[in-house]
Amino acid sequence: MSLACKAGCLHSKSPGSAQLPTRRSFFLAKGFRLKERAAPREARQTYLAAARRSSAHRTYCQSGGGTSVSAREQGVEQADAPPSESAAPPVLPQNGAVSAAVRDSWVGHLLDTWADINASPDTPELLQELHEECGAALQSARMPNTRVESFRFTDVSSIIKSQPQVPEAAEGAARGMLSSHMLREDHELRAVIVDGCLDQGLSNLSGLPDGVYIGSIRDAPEEVVAMRLGAQATTKGTPFTQVNGALAQDVVCIVLPPGAEVTQPLHLLHIASGREQSVSLNSPRLLIILGRDAHLQILEEFCPLDSNQRECYLTNATAEFELAEASSLQHGYVNLESIAAWHVKSTLVNQAARSHYALTEANLGGRISRHDVVISQMGPETETTMRNLQVCGERQVHDLHSSLRLDHPSGRAQQLHKCIVASSTGRGVFDGNVQVNQKAQQTDAAQLSRNLLLAAKGAVFARPNLQIIADDVSCTHGCTVSDLEEDQLFYFTTRGIGAEQARKILVYSFGKEITQGFRYPKLEARLEVAVNDLLSNAGAL
Amino acid sequence: MQLPARLQQVRVARTAQKRRLICQAGGKVMLEVSDLQAKVADTDKAILKGVNLTICEGESHAIMGQNGSGKSTLSRVLVGDPQYEVTGGSARFQGQDLFDLEPEERARLGLFLSFQSPIAIPGVSNIDFLRLAYNSRQKALGKPEVEPLQFYGHVMPKLDTLHIDPSWLDRSVNEGFSGGERKRNEVLQLAVLEADLAILDEIDSGLDIDALRDVATAVNGLKRGNTATLMVTHYKRLLNYIHPTHVHVMRAGQIILSGGIEVADVLENEGYEGITNLLKKEPALQTT
Ligand SMILES: Nc1ncnc2c1ncn2[C@@H]1O[C@H](COP(=O)(O)OP(=O)(O)OP(=O)(O)O)[C@@H](O)[C@H]1O
Ligand SMILES: [Mg+2]
Repeated sequence: MSLACKAGCLHSKSPGSAQLPTRRSFFLAKGFRLKERAAPREARQTYLAAARRSSAHRTYCQSGGGTSVSAREQGVEQADAPPSESAAPPVLPQNGAVSAAVRDSWVGHLLDTWADINASPDTPELLQELHEECGAALQSARMPNTRVESFRFTDVSSIIKSQPQVPEAAEGAARGMLSSHMLREDHELRAVIVDGCLDQGLSNLSGLPDGVYIGSIRDAPEEVVAMRLGAQATTKGTPFTQVNGALAQDVVCIVLPPGAEVTQPLHLLHIASGREQSVSLNSPRLLIILGRDAHLQILEEFCPLDSNQRECYLTNATAEFELAEASSLQHGYVNLESIAAWHVKSTLVNQAARSHYALTEANLGGRISRHDVVISQMGPETETTMRNLQVCGERQVHDLHSSLRLDHPSGRAQQLHKCIVASSTGRGVFDGNVQVNQKAQQTDAAQLSRNLLLAAKGAVFARPNLQIIADDVSCTHGCTVSDLEEDQLFYFTTRGIGAEQARKILVYSFGKEITQGFRYPKLEARLEVAVNDLLSNAGAL
Repeated sequence: MQLPARLQQVRVARTAQKRRLICQAGGKVMLEVSDLQAKVADTDKAILKGVNLTICEGESHAIMGQNGSGKSTLSRVLVGDPQYEVTGGSARFQGQDLFDLEPEERARLGLFLSFQSPIAIPGVSNIDFLRLAYNSRQKALGKPEVEPLQFYGHVMPKLDTLHIDPSWLDRSVNEGFSGGERKRNEVLQLAVLEADLAILDEIDSGLDIDALRDVATAVNGLKRGNTATLMVTHYKRLLNYIHPTHVHVMRAGQIILSGGIEVADVLENEGYEGITNLLKKEPALQTT
């Protein structure tokens, strides 16, 4: 029952996902991860297995039976009776019927508003299943408020009071902004995602190695994707993750077979359109499956369609990454949303033995941003690196909740979190949990949070926390909050550089320790401009 | 020991100092510090207790003195370190009241301090830092700012003199630099900025033999008729490379004795006790 979020609590703490049955370990060893099925999905599991899944999947599903399911959830599942192979896709109950059963009125509004578009015959089957599954989970969910521990410092009530509509970006509207949103000067491997849907025409996905798939869920290798889509979101996500699953109109799927390497970085450019009179909501969804010894670098960038308009929209993104043995994923993530927007993202990662996941992120945009990163090391000698930057300007809240779980020997974990609060109305929130469990001996973990408070009344709530149960480990963590170093400022001035310019440079260089990890000159230039804008608007200089 | 002879020289120097206006080579007064008193800003700890010092164009001065006597404090107060508060006296540089100027204005006017322990600025590359500093001075002088490429042309010859590897330019300012490397980096900044008055606080400490020679060559190479140098040092070694026209001894926040290179000889041979003995014998030598 860990699915339901009854009290709005996060699933990262649910103990259910900890132990893997041995049968799973077998598949793990083959370089594939199976879904962590929660009990409520059992009914659907069975029909999926019977209908068309691989034998591997069927085996697991059978083994997973027998757990209790709440009556309501089961009822919902059964309402969407398993279709036969050729039958029309299942249709969600029409307007009114949906919201009547839903506990949270915002969720009710969303499910109603998206009912038609979700019911469209164009919706691929896998996506329909995701919609149903998450829709079901949302029946009893409550969106979080500040009484919920993990949202204590981030009040999302403004989001939940809004009445989001389906976005309506004009066809090809994003074309004009491509040249100003490159990673580097030359040609790039690029997926352009407008309002959560991959725009093939604007993307450049040619020249990929054999067997590599990067594209919409519509043409994705079904077998592989079906097993993993939504698998982590079920146990690790927040209510927003379920909302993403219920409303997503596309999933960008990236599948690398064992041994494959995409040498060029892949730029995932997420563009959100606003609506004039109302709030729009886009639900980008990303699924990355790396086979054994496969290697990939991606850069997710989120920005508004019209950077001058201060239209209000909500981006609610979810990404699920499955890293097989010895694979690596370098994940860059940049939030440059409109200052009037809300930005919510879940990044859920499973790492098999000897894999390496490295996240470098910069959160600058949106009046509220919230990022939940949940990572599980699922085998020995696994490495995880996180480098996170938040820059909080006027009336901005950036919230990062990261959770990393180590359950195997010789794991490595490194996290550097940096937050700049530039305005007295800005606020940074960081809750970074690293759990080094009993079996994770010889772990090497370091976690550091450094916070720069430039405005007297600005606030930062930083809680790096390292929970260590294993005894033979080397772990360090720390947290600092400071203003700019007086002696550094003075050093600049003794060289003739004015105090204001010195502050600007020092603030930017504080963040640069993270942003230089992106290694894309044009992106770095965009970030520098964005940081300077935020700072000067906040009067921090 | 030819103390009498040396004493004589000291006496001569002392007379010169007393008259103050007499500058070597007839250069005009560049820095004039009188009765300067300063304390630590957030406590009431007085450190400088009436410093007098006049430096003219073309001169090289050395200040020596025991640990904690106030040499670095004097240097820092002159460049405007906010951790100290001036409580009395005055300082004029290039005809302007130094304490009316912000630190950056003093720098743009041609005052430069090479710090005893230069700090690191992670995230800011040497080349960017140098160019920013250089362009600030250019702007103040009413000259055009230089573009990155052009600036490389300006920096390269300085690197050569100091035998500094060009890869330094892309590294963060002093980050991961050894003590001696930091000192050389300070002198690189000095060479790029071409300051009029260079205050070198223990530029020789931490330098290996070759580096000391390189640094001294660079400093000597920057000397022009209208520039001056103020060195703080503990050893005569540096003064063998950069010949001082004046040597001062500082004690307890005051310059107690001024003279020529012979003062450094007294120190080298007899230590600070030698100075004490000298002043006992010749109380008139005391400058304050
Ligand atoms: N910011 C400060 N706070 C407290 N005391 C200070 C401060 N700065 C200097 N002092 C004290 O003032 C005295 C003079 O210090 P200063 O650094 O000027 O000495 P110095 O002559 O340069 O010594 P050294 O030869 O060791 O470099 C010392 O006793 C020092 O402890
Ligand atoms: Mg000193």
